[in-house]
Amino acid sequence: MIEFRGVTKAFGAQRALVGVDLSIGAGEWVALTGPNGAGKTTLLRILATLAQPTSGSVRLFGLNPREHGAQIRRQIGYLSHRTLLYPDLSAEQNLRFYARCYGLNDSAARIAPLLEQAQLTARRHDLVATYSRGMQQRLALARVLLHAPPLLLLDEPYTGLDTFAAEELTAQLSQLHGAGCTLVLATHTWEGETFPAQRALILQRGRLIHDAPLGERAAFPALYRQVVTQGTSQPPVNAGVPAAPEAPSAAPEAPSSAPLPGFWRQVGAILAKDLAAEVHTRELLSAMGVFAVLALLIFSFALNMQGHAAGAAVPGVLWTTLAFAGTLGLSRSLAREQGTGGLEGMLLTPVERTAIFAGKALGNWLLMLVVALVLWLLSAVLFNLVLWEAGMLPVLLLGTGGYAVVGTLLAAIAVNTRAREVLLPVLLLPLLIPLLIAAVQATGGLMQGLGAAAGGDWLRLLVVYNLVAVAVALLTFGYVVEE
Amino acid sequence: MRDKITGWALPALSVLLFLAALGMVFFYAPREATMGDVQRIFYFHVASAWVGFFGFFVTFCGSVAYLLRGARTWDILALASAEVGLAFITMTLLTGMLWAKPAWGAYWIWEPRLTISAVQWVLYVAYSMLRGALDAPERGARFAAVYGIVAFVTVPLSWFAIRWWRTIHPQLLSGGEMAITPPMLTTLLVSLAAFTVLYAALLRARMQLERERDALAALRAAQEGA
Repeated sequence: MIEFRGVTKAFGAQRALVGVDLSIGAGEWVALTGPNGAGKTTLLRILATLAQPTSGSVRLFGLNPREHGAQIRRQIGYLSHRTLLYPDLSAEQNLRFYARCYGLNDSAARIAPLLEQAQLTARRHDLVATYSRGMQQRLALARVLLHAPPLLLLDEPYTGLDTFAAEELTAQLSQLHGAGCTLVLATHTWEGETFPAQRALILQRGRLIHDAPLGERAAFPALYRQVVTQGTSQPPVNAGVPAAPEAPSAAPEAPSSAPLPGFWRQVGAILAKDLAAEVHTRELLSAMGVFAVLALLIFSFALNMQGHAAGAAVPGVLWTTLAFAGTLGLSRSLAREQGTGGLEGMLLTPVERTAIFAGKALGNWLLMLVVALVLWLLSAVLFNLVLWEAGMLPVLLLGTGGYAVVGTLLAAIAVNTRAREVLLPVLLLPLLIPLLIAAVQATGGLMQGLGAAAGGDWLRLLVVYNLVAVAVALLTFGYVVEE
Repeated sequence: MRDKITGWALPALSVLLFLAALGMVFFYAPREATMGDVQRIFYFHVASAWVGFFGFFVTFCGSVAYLLRGARTWDILALASAEVGLAFITMTLLTGMLWAKPAWGAYWIWEPRLTISAVQWVLYVAYSMLRGALDAPERGARFAAVYGIVAFVTVPLSWFAIRWWRTIHPQLLSGGEMAITPPMLTTLLVSLAAFTVLYAALLRARMQLERERDALAALRAAQEGA
């Protein structure tokens, strides 16, 4: 099921994994342990297809993750340090979103028993932000089990759980293992954890220094200390590891799933999730809208223009205001994904990277359009101008569309940097120059009553900008989200 | 051995070419009839603009190659070219402003070519700021590569958008013929060669510096891992 050959993962000069050779068969329960920074999480992330090895080969279910990522991800459930749940959505909305990402047909029938198992049925409509740590962990496990994966990857699943919750988790995992699931469970402490793993792996400084049957559970902590202190294993690595067992006859019952959801269904799922979160919080729209209105009021007060002078200045004022307001929304939109681990959650599903980008960009586009409409209406009042001419709609759609596409791509970059929100406008605004020039000129032409034909060249430039932006963004977004 | 030769040959050639270019700019090229001696700045202005744009193109190529191949050398090439290019495009702006004051009566006018140089300068600065704000080396290199590509492809669009405004910039070509005399053209070509070789020498030195930084980081990591 899992084959690692000489796998090394480096982050610059630091090597998190060094030449790891490993085979895990179907139905095994493997405990992966080692001191902090040994490389356990990196190994699990490579198994979950979230990271690629720097060298060496990985095969999962007999497939190469680079070529069959979506197919492999359908068969893996990964419980990370973080719950990868959206706090601004309810438990049911979270599970429904992930069910759509996995293309599950019978999501309602699948979600109900999982919520029951997680003892969250009564609170299924409450926002996850209101849950305790234990409740969130139970819901996270429900998310992992949603698509009944035959391989479960668990990274420190006992962290933050009390004794009773830990016992419940062990019982649940034992049940899954009994049903034929393969489990790889990472932990750095053995005290108080009683999971019945069959095989123990010890990593130290990225090297696999011990790979043997677990043996007597109570004796393992002493063996672990000895192996880590000596930095080598007696018996040597891979000695005495039993041959991978045959896949059990009672494999976990997979939920009925259609072929992978189409591109636009994936986009729709992400868009619906973002809009639902926005309905609950209203944080993006309110931040962008209030900023835009304030900026326009200040411009109106400071410029104090009417008539022809206003007609010449207002297009620039409108698009500049919109450009600055947009950076607030874009920053927050991607920071929300980053903060909750939502982007990582999506990357664990078979959803295409381009669909993630399109979903996020569409959501940002809709928000910008709403803010633009508010700005246009307010401008008509403050500057006493007729702003709605035939032909204004395509200018608005193309202007905000190109902005949302480039902005979403750059926000995905900026959110991973130290400067974050501060850096986004610095990166984004120079790229928007042709878009802003064209949008301002086209808007100005329309406002001066020159008709749609007057803005023809600028509209063409906006179309070209949008096409180029979409093409480049779709080609490069995968590189941005790859670890 | 070859590296050592290239190591001193490029800077030496650059110095020789610069001496030749300076000599030609001040003693060979004729005094321009309308603008006078201030026109001589043109030989540095055009040459630095050419290298500044070429450096951006090299960053674009390095970025594409890095995303496709993943080899650190391409990332180093993109990074080094952007840093060296920023120095040249800064020079373009400064010489442009020095020229603009006596020629147009103001240091800065929103003239298309000056504006596109300013846009390029801002893009270079943004690229450098992005590189400085990244921690994860591999991921950071990918981010920078994506930005290098997006930034480069927007430059022609910026150019068209800005160009549709009226230009007052002197034209090299006028009615299909060169607007400068043959000695001026020869001086310009020597100046272009001098700046291009200087760019290559600086690029090589910056790449070498980055490789040595990598080697040092690897040594430190090995020492900590031992």
